[in-house]
Amino acid sequence: MIRRAIPAWLFWLLAIGGVAFLLGAYEMVSARQTRINPLQSTIPSFEKLGEGLKQIFRPQGLPENPKPPMFWVDMRATLWRLFMGMGFGVAASIVVGVLMGAYRWIEAPLSPVVMFLSKVPPTAMMPIYFALVGTDQKMFTSMVALGIFFSMTQSIYQAVRQDVSDESINKAYTLGASEFEVIYEVIWKQILPKIIDAIRLQIGPAMVFLLAAEMVVGNAGLGYQIRMQSRILNMSIVYVYLAILAFVGLIAEWGLATLRKKLCPWYVE
Amino acid sequence: MSEFALEIKALSHVFGSYRVLDNISLQVLPGQIVAVVGPSGCGKSTLLKAILGTDPPTHGEILTDGMPVRGPTRNVGIVYQNYALYDFMSAERNVSFGLKMDETSMWMRFLQTRKYFAKRRGHIKKSLEFLRVVGLADACGKYPREMSGGMRQRVAVAQAFIMRPKIVLLDEPFGALDEAMREDLQMMLLRFYQENLIAKKEGRRPEYTILMVTHELNEAIYVADRVIGLSRFHTNGSQGAAIVYDRPCPVFHPDDPRDFSKFVVQREELRKAVFDEHYIKDRDKYVTFWKELGTLANSVAGV
Repeated sequence: MIRRAIPAWLFWLLAIGGVAFLLGAYEMVSARQTRINPLQSTIPSFEKLGEGLKQIFRPQGLPENPKPPMFWVDMRATLWRLFMGMGFGVAASIVVGVLMGAYRWIEAPLSPVVMFLSKVPPTAMMPIYFALVGTDQKMFTSMVALGIFFSMTQSIYQAVRQDVSDESINKAYTLGASEFEVIYEVIWKQILPKIIDAIRLQIGPAMVFLLAAEMVVGNAGLGYQIRMQSRILNMSIVYVYLAILAFVGLIAEWGLATLRKKLCPWYVE
Repeated sequence: MSEFALEIKALSHVFGSYRVLDNISLQVLPGQIVAVVGPSGCGKSTLLKAILGTDPPTHGEILTDGMPVRGPTRNVGIVYQNYALYDFMSAERNVSFGLKMDETSMWMRFLQTRKYFAKRRGHIKKSLEFLRVVGLADACGKYPREMSGGMRQRVAVAQAFIMRPKIVLLDEPFGALDEAMREDLQMMLLRFYQENLIAKKEGRRPEYTILMVTHELNEAIYVADRVIGLSRFHTNGSQGAAIVYDRPCPVFHPDDPRDFSKFVVQREELRKAVFDEHYIKDRDKYVTFWKELGTLANSVAGV
């Protein structure tokens, strides 16, 4: 029957079983491939993946002139680009989205533009960024920022329109609030959980734009490294990087969910 | 300070070529609880929005305590049927929100935190007093979603009255509540009225002045000391709705039995004068409140 409850122990057993099955199946396929070609590196065994993991944390360069490990270089580059891009994108979309939701004369000229541009895939716009802002940090920042800006503005503006009733705004005026206080004390606080959720939902797309750009023009970063290592069929490093990306996503998701619970205890989905 | 808490002078409202309200004039004394009834679509909401200041009338003027209404301000409080509480604030913070807006600035909230927190402690204390008045002393820390409809409406009432506005508008305030809750809240308004009477006797200006829109005739007569009927069923009805009924009604004490048979006669009169579309009469026939002043006992308008 649809949605029939199952006991908790069975749920956990099946959850662990699912992961175990995936790992077991991978090991089997890897062993089979190694039997055919002992030097294969396309489906590396867990042992080789372990070596890959060690390798990315090993200092690079010569022993007398060591350079930071590959992982730190790439991680720092990617996270910094993501942070800067999302920071600008989120800040701009909050300002524009809230103002669009609050003032009809701002909504009227901006909503068709935002709606249209939110439909252009940001990765397809990459050549425009190369031409206009070059291929350095500025390019990554503007790409991520603009990539998330339009759809995030759209969702913040919708949140203001739907979650903040005319009644609650009129009432704020009758309680002596000024226009700025209505925006900060009523609108902002009411939609804060929606904003945090919108950020959470935008991390995925932001990563897609960033990694795609890094694969094309980066000189460091997770996307750059994945592309470089896959070129020389160094899949033990590629897979480890993919797992790291998944963990980064999980941590960001968990962090923002915790932040929302902390800042908005009143909110229930 | 003006003699009237609310004064409406020759108000008319026109949507395009359609005249909704025609030449409405009304004076409300401080401490009165005035019920407004009328058929749906007769312009009650339009009138309420005009008094609130969100939708100014096309003609005429509205004064609260002698000052013209130019937009929603803290002179007029509002309680909506859907409560319109702030979800992100607990009951006590919802109630004290107005005090915060009134007595602290953005500047103080961010940069003079010590002074701000001292003020806030005072606000919270005062909001607890008001929550006690509306019978919600135990629910101060609860968020709106954790409260029943009746509790939320009490919070909304406290939120409006803590600002001591010149008049509070109640827009179908108990329409979404079940019978028991509704009675409780009606009782609460009757207690407010008793406090008004005491204030009047002691020579103070009564604090709770209310204009309540309702579709329940029993509720109107039971809670209010004056009923106003708005309708188009008068000789000049094509010109728009007008006040066709304005009479005092008996004042109940909260401890009196809820005996609705006492006002059956007035109820029928009200139904006929305001809701009967075949009974077309001169619009001033039942507008006799000010002529009946001399006969009123136990009323803030009584002389």
